[in-house]
Amino acid sequence: METSELLQLAIAGLKNGSIYALLALGFTIVYAATNVINFAQGEFYMLGGMFAVYAFTQFELPLLVSVPLAVLVVAGIGMLFETLAIRPRKDAEPMALIIITVGGSLVFASLARHAFGSDALPLPEFTAGPSFLFAGAAIERQTVWIWGIVLVTVAGLTFLYSKTRLGRAMRACMQNREAARLMGIDTARVVMISFGLAAALGAVAGVAVTPLTSTRFDIGAGIAVKGFAAAILGGLGSPLAAVAGGLLLGLIEQAVIPFSSALKDVVALGVLLAVLFLRPQGLFRRARREKM
Amino acid sequence: METLKRGTRGALALALALGIMLPSGCASDGAGDDGAATEPYVVGAVLSLTGAQSGLGGPEKNAIDMEVARINEEGGINGHELVVIIEDDASDVDQAIARTTKLIEQDGVVAIIGSTGTGQSMAMRDVINEAQVPQVALGSGSIITAEFDPLVFQTPWTADLIVPLALEYLKAEGHTKIGLITEDTGFGKDGQALVNETAADYGLEVVSDQVFKPADTDMTGQLTVIKGAGADVVLMWSSVAASSIVPKNLEQLNLDIPLVCSHGIAKQEFIDGAGAAGEGVVAFAGKVLAPETYGVGSESYEAATGFVERYTAEYGVAPDHFAGHAYDGLYLVVEALKRLDEGFTSADLRDEIEKTSGFAGIGGVFTFSATDHNGMTADDIVIYRIEDGRWALAE
Repeated sequence: METSELLQLAIAGLKNGSIYALLALGFTIVYAATNVINFAQGEFYMLGGMFAVYAFTQFELPLLVSVPLAVLVVAGIGMLFETLAIRPRKDAEPMALIIITVGGSLVFASLARHAFGSDALPLPEFTAGPSFLFAGAAIERQTVWIWGIVLVTVAGLTFLYSKTRLGRAMRACMQNREAARLMGIDTARVVMISFGLAAALGAVAGVAVTPLTSTRFDIGAGIAVKGFAAAILGGLGSPLAAVAGGLLLGLIEQAVIPFSSALKDVVALGVLLAVLFLRPQGLFRRARREKM
Repeated sequence: METLKRGTRGALALALALGIMLPSGCASDGAGDDGAATEPYVVGAVLSLTGAQSGLGGPEKNAIDMEVARINEEGGINGHELVVIIEDDASDVDQAIARTTKLIEQDGVVAIIGSTGTGQSMAMRDVINEAQVPQVALGSGSIITAEFDPLVFQTPWTADLIVPLALEYLKAEGHTKIGLITEDTGFGKDGQALVNETAADYGLEVVSDQVFKPADTDMTGQLTVIKGAGADVVLMWSSVAASSIVPKNLEQLNLDIPLVCSHGIAKQEFIDGAGAAGEGVVAFAGKVLAPETYGVGSESYEAATGFVERYTAEYGVAPDHFAGHAYDGLYLVVEALKRLDEGFTSADLRDEIEKTSGFAGIGGVFTFSATDHNGMTADDIVIYRIEDGRWALAE
């Protein structure tokens, strides 16, 4: 296999991996605040694309407006979902809350089906034009957008966590919610904002991918599996680890394709299982003692 | 299930006793009719209205809804109202079995149309056999009629029919090295197996054999491997929405290799999804996208143009061949019902469908026999190319 082909596979891996990374970030942020895996994360991804398509085709808004608008709307939906469905049961077992998120994902998917129909809906690329060529490999413009979005997102999250009051409150909740509450942090607000942030990240991923793939009401579950796998690889801890988990998963998938494209998903999920068995704390996190 | 059946029989018996209706010598539940011309003929349809094959199931439902209304407006079948109960299998094999069971046990249908997909159509077979109800499948896998079942008929063209045409075309175009890409479904595997088995007979070589899942969002990896293998044409066997990503990825990779496809993509959804990258894509399908190819004035031409006109007026878009397969499935059952007298059994209906000869449908002219339950020939297929966002004849 030639270098240019390897490079092309790596580009594809980093492209898909970036999307997994954004979803993994969503899983990680909600998990940090609540110890809950939010199975509606894939539906936030789907809704992001849907609202962008809707705003673009029905209201004929420019992409520059449709895309951020869709992300904001989905962030709102995420916070609303937390307020209406999670908060009333906030003291329940994490398992009960996880079931609520599963229910939420089904509700979002069927509402989307009724609102937007069951066909695949396309969206134009953010900037149309031929791919960039790099050492014999092609990089499509939308991929550059996706990478840019991931970089900005990671930078923004890092800033949020390290430099802002809200970020410090979120980190405090991550370490010990009860103690944070006793220190005067409004933990309910942190949880709500975490859901909003996770929903926004899912929507960003969905909006960024829709020009390449079109979107449909039932695509959430498939991508959520990938995002969840990436989050587990990253250990559900730091945002950077989630991004690394996503990129790694994307690269593993592409590495399998030259041998057998039919086994792509099998191998990727096999790696996930191996990680769960051998390093349950994730690839990038030192094992630590469970805090009381 | 047995108790349900018994319950239905009980209800029929009660109705009989009350003299409301008279199931005259009818063996199958609910199929009976008393000649009072008020009892409807009930047919079931299992379609993939949601899930990966919703792009196919939607037009199928449209066609059936529209034609059933038309048949009833014109007085129904021999004075009986026609009722078609449509169930959604969500493109899922287990759902297809459950929905079929429901239609037979609860609704007492005389025949089943569907499912949309090959996998679902095959999975329904056990239920069909247990109840001995005829099935007209809308899935296009060769296996549906190759693995012969006297109860099962099929309206779409199969891979057995189209693969030889596609390979012949590739040979005529001077290609030698095929990069094959197929979806990981019953439909895709059907084409994949047949292309691999028979390519050598046409002097063609499959240099790369790639697969994608209906949920995949990116095929650049598979296409990079195809390019690396030196393919001079990409042959795609797919019918799911994700197929429209392939021409986009080809363009994004700056791969200047022609893309030739099965009938599975001959629909508007593919053109919408692929956008400008879809221009020039070649597909093999029936004549409904260009009705003049039936031969102006022929019976098929009249049937197809009438159907296209009604469908376009009703739904605002021209029908694709999936709508046509459903039309054919419906009318194969309806025409057989028309020829039957009151009090027929499911076995009579099956026999009558098998006697179909020269039925001018949308997919082609159907002539079934005791060994051929697909009844289509290469004459029913033409070659299309996407030009200016439309399916145009390639000749």
